[in-house]
Amino acid sequence: MRNTVRELRTKGGLSQGDLGAALGVSRQTINSIETCRYLPSLPLAFALARFFGSTIEEIFHVDD
Amino acid sequence: MSTTDSHAPQSPAPKSARARWALPLLSLAIGIAYLVAGILGGDQAFGVFGLVLMVAVGAAMLVLSRFSETVAGLMDRRDERINSIDRDATTIAGTAVIVAVIVGFVVQIAQGHDGSPYAMLGAIGGVSYVVALIFLRLRR
Repeated sequence: MRNTVRELRTKGGLSQGDLGAALGVSRQTINSIETCRYLPSLPLAFALARFFGSTIEEIFHVDD
Repeated sequence: MSTTDSHAPQSPAPKSARARWALPLLSLAIGIAYLVAGILGGDQAFGVFGLVLMVAVGAAMLVLSRFSETVAGLMDRRDERINSIDRDATTIAGTAVIVAVIVGFVVQIAQGHDGSPYAMLGAIGGVSYVVALIFLRLRR
């Protein structure tokens, strides 16, 4: 599954640590999400979507 | 990008600050248990060494948590990914212990012994697994 978290974060001028602090997770977790090594839980996925003013479907994409 | 407070998760609650002390306090409690056991068993040196060791372990956790996100995450239990890693690591460690218990039991029996204490340890593991399975099956 791919995602656009890194693009959204850098567009907002945030570091991984900044985003992690805002969402209550570690910088490592943000890095793992961005590199597709970790799939966030539904609450965290919703929190990410709300933080960026987007939807889960617009941020996370299933590989076909 | 939405950055309003109503959308952003709350900053860490005091609960996480209390949770951070759980492992060091557990370490201290184990050290006190070692001290009491050593005194009762007539080996005060073991008791004192055990207490000092476990206090050092707790202190090391507190110090390392300032430099390592992983250690900090294991202590405050806020990060879902680190909690998941901890659960998987615990499963692997538990499986390793179960295998060791089974091997120990089989070796004991093969040597003509009664299998203790491995039989009891294996029974505790088995019963714990079944109870957990039933409890979680009903909860989820």
